[in-house]
Amino acid sequence: MDFTIPEELKMLQTLARDFVKEKLLPLERELLGQDGDPHRKLQLPRETEENLIKMVKGMGLWGLGLPEELGGVGLSTLGICLVEEELAKTIVPFNFGDVTPLLFDGNEKQREYYLFPVLGKRRQAHIALLEPGKGTDLANMQTRAEKVADGYLLNGIKISLSPINGDDFAIVFAFTNPDAGVRGGVTCFLVDRSTPGFTVVNNGRKDEGQTLPAKPVSLIFNDCLVPPENMLGEEGKAFHLGSKWLPQRRIIRGARCIGAATRLLEASTEYAKTWERFGRPITSWLSVQAALAEIAADVQASRLMVHYAAWKADRGELVSRETAMVKLLTTQMLARAADRAVHIHGGPIYADELPLERLCQNAVVNSALERAMELQRTIIISDLLKGIGR
Amino acid sequence: MPQQNQVDVKEIEAILSEILSSRVPPVARCRLLSSGLSSGHTLDVTEELGGVKACLACGNCIDICPVLVREPHRRQKTQQRTSMALESLVPEDCDRCYACILVCPQVDTTIKYYIVNNYMIEVMSRLEGRIGSEGEPDLDLFLEEALSQV
Repeated sequence: MDFTIPEELKMLQTLARDFVKEKLLPLERELLGQDGDPHRKLQLPRETEENLIKMVKGMGLWGLGLPEELGGVGLSTLGICLVEEELAKTIVPFNFGDVTPLLFDGNEKQREYYLFPVLGKRRQAHIALLEPGKGTDLANMQTRAEKVADGYLLNGIKISLSPINGDDFAIVFAFTNPDAGVRGGVTCFLVDRSTPGFTVVNNGRKDEGQTLPAKPVSLIFNDCLVPPENMLGEEGKAFHLGSKWLPQRRIIRGARCIGAATRLLEASTEYAKTWERFGRPITSWLSVQAALAEIAADVQASRLMVHYAAWKADRGELVSRETAMVKLLTTQMLARAADRAVHIHGGPIYADELPLERLCQNAVVNSALERAMELQRTIIISDLLKGIGR
Repeated sequence: MPQQNQVDVKEIEAILSEILSSRVPPVARCRLLSSGLSSGHTLDVTEELGGVKACLACGNCIDICPVLVREPHRRQKTQQRTSMALESLVPEDCDRCYACILVCPQVDTTIKYYIVNNYMIEVMSRLEGRIGSEGEPDLDLFLEEALSQV
């Protein structure tokens, strides 16, 4: 058993750590001080973002997650986890060329028109999956794609959390055969914003500034004719897209939780060392010591679990159980770390201008999806019932 | 409705096995095999309900059916909460979990015991086989993708 991270990945980790420390962390104050809306979504100014992208491209790290067969770096899951952990230590919304794996399954032409422009930040993809008022009930999706002579006629309303960026397109999930159910009757389409019948409604979002309110964008399809060549994957098989890459994304999200929790731990330790109550530093208080120790133990346990799952995924083994465990543990771990950080700070962190407040906010949002947690437990139980004693 | 002297499963084992192996919700047929409603534990109007083995329309089977829970849009076809409604909503897609039988107040306890003792292990392995299998996409992965998109 060898827990050593390979030398080349260690170098990559150091590179990402330095980049975050030197380039991203100094931007936090500026980003947070821009707007009075506490629920806003942070966004980097275009010029700053372009400069950062240029730097990352110069380092040869742009498009880390893109598979080699698609012309990307093709970094292993463990490598991506190490980089993402570092990136999650800051609240600055920046990544090293993250593209949804749904687009990986497109044909050559679709990759040319959609995947590569998204990677180059020239186009913005909206994942049009969720619908207003439907929550996570995908079986009850109302958007329909009716087959007509020239293609498919799309009708329905979707919501997207992505910002509007001029040359947008949507990855639309619509029922082509409702009788076949959600797993066999939903088809995916790529729809350009210029397509007649497709309207993007900006629900009061500001796109000029550096921050965005959290309100989603509405994507309205009204008799929108989509040519058959814009179908992504096969008809009725929308939920089979990206199946080779999506499970690993869950491990990578686990790594992001570890990054955020590590930042909370560092900030809380720093605070505890410098803050005094009743004439002595609060690090001498047993409850504070216990809280810090528990965050540290939690982070370490989660990190080992993420690294193990990533290692296993890189060996090409089935990791559905491991990814479920990673999501369950890391999500809860981050919520616990945020809770403890709040207690160490002596109360809720309400000051909007502090990065810590934003980290805690994100932690609570992640843990709020109890239904998703329940699903992870079901996956784990499924393996246990099969008698797989791993 | 279970009575003091309920049906002896040994006598109906063959037909019961036939029923439980089909892909149609089995509750109504199990109800008909049961001892039925007794005047001892009903109101006077029982006869008017249409027979002692009639479905009471309690809706328990509709509420417990995992197919309808997974695909709630099927329920839009009818407001009825009878076992016949269940059969028309889940025609041949039954998971054969037998939950509808276990919750039906008209099915004899002996039948329920028989199913729990002889079929539940099989049911559990069949149901757990549905989860996380390679052919079955994990929809939550797509939700995560949509929610984490920037």
